[in-house]
Amino acid sequence: MAEKIQTQMSIQEKLLILSDAAKYDVSCTSSGVDRRGDGTGMGNCQASGICHSFSSDGRCISLLKILFTNECIYDCRYCINRSSNDVPRTSFTPEEVCTLTMEFYRRNYIEGLFLSSGILKSPDYTMELIYATLYRLRKVCNFQGYIHVKAIPGASEEIIQKTGFLADRMSVNMELPTAESLRKLAPHKSRKNILTPMRMVQNRMNENKYEISVYKNAPRFVPAGQSTQMIIGATPESDYQILSVAEALYRKFDLKRVFYSAFVSVNEDKALPAKTSDGPPLLREHRLYQADWLLRFYKFEASELLDENNPNFNVFLDPKCCWALRHLEQFPVEVNRAAYEMLLRVPGIGVKSALRIVKARTMGIIQFEDLKKMGVVLKRALYFITCNGKMMYRTKMDADYITRNLMNAGERLPDSVTGMTYHQLSLFDDVNFISSQKADLIIRN
Amino acid sequence: MKKIYVCGNSITGILSAIYDAWKESRDADAGIEIRGFMEPRMFCEYAEVTENELKARAVSRLIQKNMGYNTWWSVYHALLSGDTDRADAVFHVMCAARKIPSGRRIMEHLTNPDVAKVFELDRRVSNEAHLFKEFIRFRELENQVLFSEISPDNHILVCIGNHFADRFPMENWMIYDKTHEECILHRAHYKWVLVSGQELNQDVLRRISDAESEYEQLWKTFFDTISIKERENPKCQQTHLPLRYRADMTEFGPTIV
Repeated sequence: MAEKIQTQMSIQEKLLILSDAAKYDVSCTSSGVDRRGDGTGMGNCQASGICHSFSSDGRCISLLKILFTNECIYDCRYCINRSSNDVPRTSFTPEEVCTLTMEFYRRNYIEGLFLSSGILKSPDYTMELIYATLYRLRKVCNFQGYIHVKAIPGASEEIIQKTGFLADRMSVNMELPTAESLRKLAPHKSRKNILTPMRMVQNRMNENKYEISVYKNAPRFVPAGQSTQMIIGATPESDYQILSVAEALYRKFDLKRVFYSAFVSVNEDKALPAKTSDGPPLLREHRLYQADWLLRFYKFEASELLDENNPNFNVFLDPKCCWALRHLEQFPVEVNRAAYEMLLRVPGIGVKSALRIVKARTMGIIQFEDLKKMGVVLKRALYFITCNGKMMYRTKMDADYITRNLMNAGERLPDSVTGMTYHQLSLFDDVNFISSQKADLIIRN
Repeated sequence: MKKIYVCGNSITGILSAIYDAWKESRDADAGIEIRGFMEPRMFCEYAEVTENELKARAVSRLIQKNMGYNTWWSVYHALLSGDTDRADAVFHVMCAARKIPSGRRIMEHLTNPDVAKVFELDRRVSNEAHLFKEFIRFRELENQVLFSEISPDNHILVCIGNHFADRFPMENWMIYDKTHEECILHRAHYKWVLVSGQELNQDVLRRISDAESEYEQLWKTFFDTISIKERENPKCQQTHLPLRYRADMTEFGPTIV
């Protein structure tokens, strides 16, 4: 091993090590900013984002996701690059990262660069290296595609700011939803040094909005906003706690996205859950994403979806169906008259189809056949709506009856979950530790 | 008696047919059919359409002016599809737009079957165009030209030309549509052009530049390592990236030694 570090590694070997080390970061979106090329360099950005490929785990590949270095002075228990792990270590040079990005981009392999890093020497030193890379990519190579960069907790405000003017999106990883878990699993990180850069980026973005309104050509600071990620299943927090933290992040820190990452066991450590044959908690991650969407686009609140007594999501039904079944008194709704906000809450109707319904009903009366063409999933929606005062079939407004029918209709479990449809009965309430209920969330509403 | 206008299977052809139909029988019972895809019917009068660019441009202007720019794009996308009823649907959408107070909002009338048809075709074509913005892979030829081959169902080349021209303004690149034997060419600093009916020199296309195989290999390495083994899920991968696109993609191609 030692020999390998001393000899010069080829770029192929470096890429192998540093993309392998970066793959546990979930965020791979290239959305949030629309920018045309200026005709003198290479690249542009589309607000919707573009996925260029899908890896064999079904996740999208949009950005060249790499670490600048996998050398790290921190010893976070869950991380494959923790300082106490014996893995081959290497670093890119800024030039290598730039060449790789430009050549991949030219061939339409990627939409841009996702640059994260282990902590080499100190947070400031690492952030300087990242800045140098981005500077070269933007100013020397004239790259106008998407760049997502990590703000290293603990780095100085000035260098994070300078980097933010070159990047499209910045993120600081939340890692874990409670301060207690953070102390336990990531002893070198603290609530304070995670939230400080996040707040700083938020404030700078707000100032930047003003600058742009005054000078149209003022440089853009993190135009695609900031995001973060939390690890799910390494610590005993409930879904309700995780979702509350996410909600607070959206409200108080104006985050664009919160990502959830099902815990993959890569290290043996007594502070981590024991390795089992179940694999990562993918269904739980999926339910959290569904709920996250409900918060961001469907005007739901975390406290409507879950509460202290029901702190975890249903395995069989998605969060929206669960909510509807608990609030049957509000259904069925009349598609031709219901408010847009209410349409959004009907299972089987999404944002796009709700908008189409609102537009189409000004022109004529909507029937069930029309709903189908507009993209409404009728097998789910039919229990909750009427068209013209009539329901599609004769159904009972009864929670058990509807649940049974929804299940029979083949409530499609996500592709990312295979075979995980039942839960082992246990004498111990293993998911809802009473102690964790009162834990200290990193931020609150 | 219903009058049916017969035209060729091209955008110019269809727009010319719409021009004639609109001029002569927008208030009468009329339809448009495409030569080669029609079934003879009784009690119909057939009229052959003389096709020309002027008619096509006039119809495009008419739609943009009276039905709005967005409707024009929906209609244009629908016409790029291979559906044989597309001409008829578009014509009837235009007729329907005359009967409502605001013709610009015709695409919101999803309860009208012709509007629903155009809406669906538009969605199909623009979705496919978007997929090719994602899945096109260029390879660098010996003469530094970036070359890509694709096999789309619809004529999507014109939908993606601007995207790539904006993205790679300083590069010479070309994208070849194998299904329709069309090609877009882009010369550095110039606008792109669409060429059809040209034979490509296969010999030149096979000679790749020196650096090319190295970057292909690097990309394959990246593609393989970025996947998390514990989450392996080929079915999910296949829903997002169907098999039929993979034939032309570098990461699924044969390994170069």
